Amino acid sequence: MGRRENRKQVACFKLTGTGIKMTQYLKWLFFWGMVFATITVDIPLGNAQEDINYRLKWLFNTSVAGDLYALDMGYFKKEGLSVAVKAGSPERDAIRELELGQAQFGVASADQVILARSKGSPVIVIAQLFQKNPLQWIYRAEPGTLSNLSDLKGKTIGITYGGNDETIMRALLKKGGIPEKDVTLFSVRYDYTPFYRKRVDIWPVYINSQGIILNDKLTENGEKTGFFDPSSYGVRFVANSVVTSLKTLRERPAMVQSFIKALLEGWKESLAPENKQKTLSVLKKYDRDTPTDIREKQLAITRTLIIPEGDAHLGYIDREAWRQTEQIMLEQGLIPKPVSVTDILFQDGFGPTQKKQD
Amino acid sequence: MLARRVLQFLIVFASGLIFLMILKYSLTLSDYVIPSPLDIWHTGKDILTVYFFDTLNTLSVAIIGQIISVFLAFSVGIGARKSTFAGSFIKAAAYNIQAYPIVAVAPIIFILLGDGFITRLIIAAMICYFPLLLSIIGIMSEPVTDIEHFYNVTSRMRWQLEVKIRAFENMHKLITVISGSTTLAMAGTIVAEFIAADRGIGHSIRIALYQSDLSRILTALFLIGIFISVYQGMLEWAGERIGNRWHVSN
Repeated sequence: MGRRENRKQVACFKLTGTGIKMTQYLKWLFFWGMVFATITVDIPLGNAQEDINYRLKWLFNTSVAGDLYALDMGYFKKEGLSVAVKAGSPERDAIRELELGQAQFGVASADQVILARSKGSPVIVIAQLFQKNPLQWIYRAEPGTLSNLSDLKGKTIGITYGGNDETIMRALLKKGGIPEKDVTLFSVRYDYTPFYRKRVDIWPVYINSQGIILNDKLTENGEKTGFFDPSSYGVRFVANSVVTSLKTLRERPAMVQSFIKALLEGWKESLAPENKQKTLSVLKKYDRDTPTDIREKQLAITRTLIIPEGDAHLGYIDREAWRQTEQIMLEQGLIPKPVSVTDILFQDGFGPTQKKQD
Repeated sequence: MLARRVLQFLIVFASGLIFLMILKYSLTLSDYVIPSPLDIWHTGKDILTVYFFDTLNTLSVAIIGQIISVFLAFSVGIGARKSTFAGSFIKAAAYNIQAYPIVAVAPIIFILLGDGFITRLIIAAMICYFPLLLSIIGIMSEPVTDIEHFYNVTSRMRWQLEVKIRAFENMHKLITVISGSTTLAMAGTIVAEFIAADRGIGHSIRIALYQSDLSRILTALFLIGIFISVYQGMLEWAGERIGNRWHVSN
């Protein structure tokens, strides 16, 4: 009996051992399965998803009024598109998302686009939203503060190291023949205390967002302000544009056409003076933190930055400004060699009045 | 021990790089999304010296922050080891403060203290201090019954003796906690530099991020990893020596 029982026990142990091994194996399989699933869910390939993702450059604010208007007023739906407009941030790069297939359209600044192209990214610009760069420098308008470039000498200038305001300021200093030792560059961050405390003379702002808030605060304090606009000194560094991948443009031209049509229609309507209240309510829905009076002022300035001068249409791609942007980046060593900027810009143009000289 | 730590880090880093390269070449991603090995190599070579000193700068702040945190945590932890009101109050406060995201608190510190060395130090110490405090309270409040009982029944127990017994009996745990807090101190300093400072490796990472330069970020991560491994290895070695010496002298 003893021997028989022992055999039974041994067999039982063997089975249990196999069971344990099996469970471990299943656990192992489950773990790696989950890892694989996470990776594949996080990085969808190509056009696997049907919905269109549109990644903005920054958070929802007045600078994206037209994008939100097109979404909220159903312009995308009218074109048969299901678009998710997603807020951006410095960590979220629309161009990377285009390549990874996480977004089909995005907003990127010209320097981002040129840099990406210099590294082989198949990105293409299909519309230039900002005809004028909103990046300017605010200063206290005391007599003789800043009436020409040479007035920058001896000033403490705020810049975001690595940001495009650094590139623009360096281009301005070069244009004005001002060596860097004649100015003090101050590293700018999220809080404006150094500017309020007058440690910094001129502070970089987006004129249609923080520019208004800072201006209002200083005005309340009885101080006069001014804005230093690089384009007044011939530096036309292109700001935000709508981008897509070359693959999307080649494989789904009709979808791209519909998207850009809806988007530009949204921008046009959002900036129309008669739609002001509608636009403000759309903005309020997505950006609850900005007071209405500030938002109203932001919208008025945004209008002047988006609507092109002359007979050009909304979204007009200013090729000359793009060439200048590329030249500045080359001179500052931000790209190793020219990228043939015209290859980045969508040749055919979506508007009826893309200028002939392009 | 030191060599083993560095080797372990190199294996982890190399695995990460291989994973990135598999992703890059299987999805045919451009150098903008994931740089090529050659690009990483060239960028690394170009900026190694600058980033080396940036990381050294960050590490020096992290070490000072960690020393402050360790002293503070021991002082408070020893004081709060008894299950009194003060002990539970400190625990609850530490849990709550630890839950605050430092990025939300940091701007207040910047407004009050500017963006220099002190601010970096405070943020590093804040991130490192609270987890350290909770671990030390946990360790120091646990009685070593076998030994303490003798002193308690003979009425020879003093608080200094109690602390000594608990520290000695939990030496290994304490060394692990202190060594582990290195990563927290370093992470804290990098966060502070990322948000506000104009020097240190966190500041350089921020610039690289603005320039969408993953090669630079990878170089920075490599150096941070090496520095942390070396520092942690040294701490463990020192801890082992102290432990052995204490063991021999007792």
